Amino acid sequence: MAEATTTPRTGLSSRETSARRPRPSAARLAPGLALAAGILALVLLLSVAVGTYYVPLPRVWQALVDPGTSYADTVVQSRIPRTVLGLLAGAALAVSGVIVQGLTRNPLGDPGLLGVNVGAAAAIVTGIAFFGVGTGSERVWLALPGALVAVVAVYALGSSRRGTTPVKLVLAGAVITAILSAYIQAITLTHPNAFNSYRFWVLGSLAGRDAQLIGQTLPYLVAGFALAALLPGSLNALALGDDTATSLGAKVGRTRILGGLAAALLCAGATAAVGPIAFIGLAVPHIVRSFTGGDHRWLLPFSALLGPAMLLLADIVGRVIASPQELEVGVVTAFLGAPVLLWAVRRIRGRE
Amino acid sequence: MSAEGSRPGIAPDAALSSTATRRPVVRVGSWLSLPYRRRSVVVGGILAVGVLLLALLTLTLGTLGIPLTELPAAIASPKPGRTEFVLNVLRGPRLVTAIGTGAALGVAGALFQTVTRNPLGSPDVIGLGAGASAGAACFGLLLPGILPVPAGALVGALVAMGLVWLGTGRGFSSPGRMILVGIAVSAMAVAFVQYVMTRVNQQEATTLAAYISGTLADRDWGDATEIWVAVIVLVPFALLLGRRLDLVEMGDDVADSLGGRSSLTRTLVVLVAIGLGTAAVAATGPISFVALTAPQVARRLAKAPGAGILLSALFGAVILMAADLLVQQSPFGAQLPVGLLTAMVGGVYLGYLLLREWKKGTI
Repeated sequence: MAEATTTPRTGLSSRETSARRPRPSAARLAPGLALAAGILALVLLLSVAVGTYYVPLPRVWQALVDPGTSYADTVVQSRIPRTVLGLLAGAALAVSGVIVQGLTRNPLGDPGLLGVNVGAAAAIVTGIAFFGVGTGSERVWLALPGALVAVVAVYALGSSRRGTTPVKLVLAGAVITAILSAYIQAITLTHPNAFNSYRFWVLGSLAGRDAQLIGQTLPYLVAGFALAALLPGSLNALALGDDTATSLGAKVGRTRILGGLAAALLCAGATAAVGPIAFIGLAVPHIVRSFTGGDHRWLLPFSALLGPAMLLLADIVGRVIASPQELEVGVVTAFLGAPVLLWAVRRIRGRE
Repeated sequence: MSAEGSRPGIAPDAALSSTATRRPVVRVGSWLSLPYRRRSVVVGGILAVGVLLLALLTLTLGTLGIPLTELPAAIASPKPGRTEFVLNVLRGPRLVTAIGTGAALGVAGALFQTVTRNPLGSPDVIGLGAGASAGAACFGLLLPGILPVPAGALVGALVAMGLVWLGTGRGFSSPGRMILVGIAVSAMAVAFVQYVMTRVNQQEATTLAAYISGTLADRDWGDATEIWVAVIVLVPFALLLGRRLDLVEMGDDVADSLGGRSSLTRTLVVLVAIGLGTAAVAATGPISFVALTAPQVARRLAKAPGAGILLSALFGAVILMAADLLVQQSPFGAQLPVGLLTAMVGGVYLGYLLLREWKKGTI
């Protein structure tokens, strides 16, 4: 397990965070799952109710089941696309966070580590600067391939004859991120159009996003979720270290490829739809792990339910505190997520 | 005493007297003894010549360059006119600022990499650059007129470092936590900058974007003075601490038992590194990757263990001057910020480094 403790960002292994307490029983966690679903449902309702114009919850219900043409109905209708986007993006980010943390054995792993965000951003600025495409809903068709290509590049750079290890993946991600960030800066500083579009996209937001985006990114997200659903067992094996996992019969290489693909599809889809959003992929799995332990069979469904709840809650906060204007959800998650990370750091009493 | 000559658990004197790694030593009376390695001195000499050469090139190249034959006279007794303008306004301050900033970044990186035992360490890792950007965005655009932008960057960097200090719960004595908290602080600062970018008009946003990539354009003698004061005050501190740091590198237990006081040393070293980093940020904006690459290359060139503070300073200056020379003389009309070039080159260098290590199988 030597390599699990040498991940450069932390020097902590995920087992240290989870192994201290006995694993919670399924009998206790199953009701928890129902509770999480309940929380999500409540947040979904709040998301269509709360904003500059507040619609009382009973009225929301009426507007949803029997929409009329009144002002309240219109407001509720207008908030449905962003709520659905938040639901999809939050689930995708949280699940891809769980997968990346499992693959890199780094409890502070984040899909951004694999270059998803910079890949998408680089493709977008390139499209706008050189080909005149990439504004509005066209952006998805740049962001998705860009993100996927960046992940492939990270995997290619992170693999050698000896195979891929978590440390290599993280470092390769840092390299690709550094190079692409410089490229993005160079393009945005020399092409005003690209910069103007980029500065609004890079601040991830659910507001003013095209409802078309839902349909455009849904296939990728569904594929990603389906792949993720196959992975819990393999990820559990991977957590034991490559050698143990291999000797237990797990196919380590295949898990890494499939996991990378699932994480990339999910995170790329979410990023293409709403822009880069920090900390959902990092913080949600971490919070979930604090009560489920390291078993991916529980981690994945809990994260899929609580990820969107957290993202939409942040979105609601952004709508309320700057009312009648809005604070983009990307800003809110950064400022809410950073303290969560600090809390996590304090909680882990690993080796220094 | 030498880090590589003494094995843990052996008293330093015993280690020194084992003649295998005995080094030449400069002694001044009884209060200063400075062991040095011949290879380091040679490399240092070459780098110093490099600094000089790049300085000459910076001043002489291009349509506005001062011809080499006129340069001594121009420096000795500047006559008002074109030459004086180039020397005193256009390129002189920029050059002097570049040397000082490069040196400061090199030393800050060397200290950070040693103290965090992380070859990728640099003040940027704990959010110094991001904090400075946020400060610049805040005082430059959101609340204009309270502080000049460089002072705003300074405040931002210091606030970020203060947050890191508070966030770790152990001050600067725990490198692992420092990096983690730094990630969180960076994320907040970056989000804030991006937020500001969307709330101002495009021209203001472009100015901010150029500033936060780190630029040497339009520097004046004030910038040059500021960074050089910091270098002259703090680098001797770094050198003094360097000896203690060699002890800490052998592990906390060994260092403590030899009187190295590892926690205190680490805190002091981080403070000096932050001082240099913030001075650099105030002078030029956050220039990335110089602090990361300079100590690494310097260490490779010298083949020496330890922080290699002076060599890192020289190499930092060489990198920044070379990058700025390229930017100034680039065939593309618009001058890009120098920080962009260092980031691009730094990223490629990092990739090369990793590929090489992987071939050797050390990672």
